Amino acid sequence: MGLYAFLFGRNKLKKPKREQFFSIIGAASAVEERENLSFSHYAGVVFSPVESLFFEELDKELRDLLKISSLSTNTKYKILDDSFGARWVSFEDKDFEDLVEFAHIINETFIDHGYGDRLIASVFGFIFQGKKAYWIYYSKRGKFYPLVFDNKEKRDHQLEFRLANIMTSENIEVEKSDRWYPLTGIPF
Amino acid sequence: MRQRGYGKDTGLTIRMFFTSFLLLLLYCFFGLFLFSMGMPLEILLILGIVMVAFQFFASDKLVLASTRARVVSAEEEPKLHAVVERLSALADMPKPKKIAIMDTHVPNAFATGRSPKNSVIAVTRGLLSRLTEKELEAVLAHELSHIKNKDVMVLTWASLIVVISGFLMQMLFWMSIFGGFGGGGRSGRGGGGQAMLVIFAVYIGTILVYFISQLLILTISRYREYAADRGGAILTGSPLTLASALTKISGDLARIPEKDLRTVEHANAFFIIPALSGKSIGNLLSSHPPVEKRIEKLRSMQADLEGPSKYTDG
Repeated sequence: MGLYAFLFGRNKLKKPKREQFFSIIGAASAVEERENLSFSHYAGVVFSPVESLFFEELDKELRDLLKISSLSTNTKYKILDDSFGARWVSFEDKDFEDLVEFAHIINETFIDHGYGDRLIASVFGFIFQGKKAYWIYYSKRGKFYPLVFDNKEKRDHQLEFRLANIMTSENIEVEKSDRWYPLTGIPF
Repeated sequence: MRQRGYGKDTGLTIRMFFTSFLLLLLYCFFGLFLFSMGMPLEILLILGIVMVAFQFFASDKLVLASTRARVVSAEEEPKLHAVVERLSALADMPKPKKIAIMDTHVPNAFATGRSPKNSVIAVTRGLLSRLTEKELEAVLAHELSHIKNKDVMVLTWASLIVVISGFLMQMLFWMSIFGGFGGGGRSGRGGGGQAMLVIFAVYIGTILVYFISQLLILTISRYREYAADRGGAILTGSPLTLASALTKISGDLARIPEKDLRTVEHANAFFIIPALSGKSIGNLLSSHPPVEKRIEKLRSMQADLEGPSKYTDG
């Protein structure tokens, strides 16, 4: 927090960081090596929409773009609003690299339109020890973190820490655990 | 990279700067004044700092206790927690440590705490029942902006001068009643009269400083409210939703003559709308700007969001 922001109460939304995004590719080898970890074949991008004509423009372009790119990669996708003020694009593809590419396209479209600061996270679905798990790319900090939910939709912190270790061993930078936002309402 | 901006509010920044500068001047003046009058400056300063530090470090507990707000867990209020968490993620700040609910029909909300990690956000039952999902989100975003902007820290420490001058004022009042600096100092009728004169001068000066500093701090507080409105509107991406929430809350506050929250009007908590609102207190003496003005600003922000040529460098 800069002195200006402190003295005048002017905090801006942080721009997204994208340097580490493609380190998620390391997930492929993590899955290959481990029996207890597999892809759920779902991924998603969550963002906070803005009430503005410019944003509607972006929204429209994004929908067109998704339509076109989904044809070439055969990716199924959905756009939906959750009840906590965020919008999700969730998509399904058997090919993990297609999922990563799809998320990347969405992120870049936001950044190109000058709305990168509205991106919250890109979410990749896994199954870990038979439980729903996610690798979250938190856009504000450009790092990943794990989420694991048990059958009652409660978080399993122990498995999360184990998953974090797996991520680290694949050279993925893991965010501090006080920022492991549960992202309530992941639609897949 | 260029980014579509949220508009700027340079006027506010300039006014904030000017007011802070005046406050700084007042600090210097008061210090020199007390020094030249031979007042025990160090003792006063240490006393003031101790008192303010206590308020600062205990702010969350003090306010929670005085509002009788009940801390609710994520299991009890999953939705409230989820909204706060989502906004925190967007603002790149840790989720506030505690979320609390006050059992009153008056719609209001506050934030307090010395740091983002030790912060508390509280809402009333009235707020939950009266606002729509989106409006509630907007109010929570306003409160989160107070936390992100470290308003508790800024205003608690800025009011050190109020605490010191207020304390000195009382001390001098009793001193002038009982006469002189105890046993120390000069004796004899002439000397005693002179000492009384000094006390009187310091007393008048301190009263002036007390009132001026309070006015300045209230002014800064109003500016911080504008800034939090702005920050909240950026977070939700919808200034007009906050505007409509403000309209609802202020309308209801005027209609419901409940005293619940008036007793807890507290420098260390940032209510969305002051509990002590109404026409009875003038604008200069209010911790919040008038709702109409806040709404006006939010509307011009919306215009900036939609404006055809409003770009700011990213």
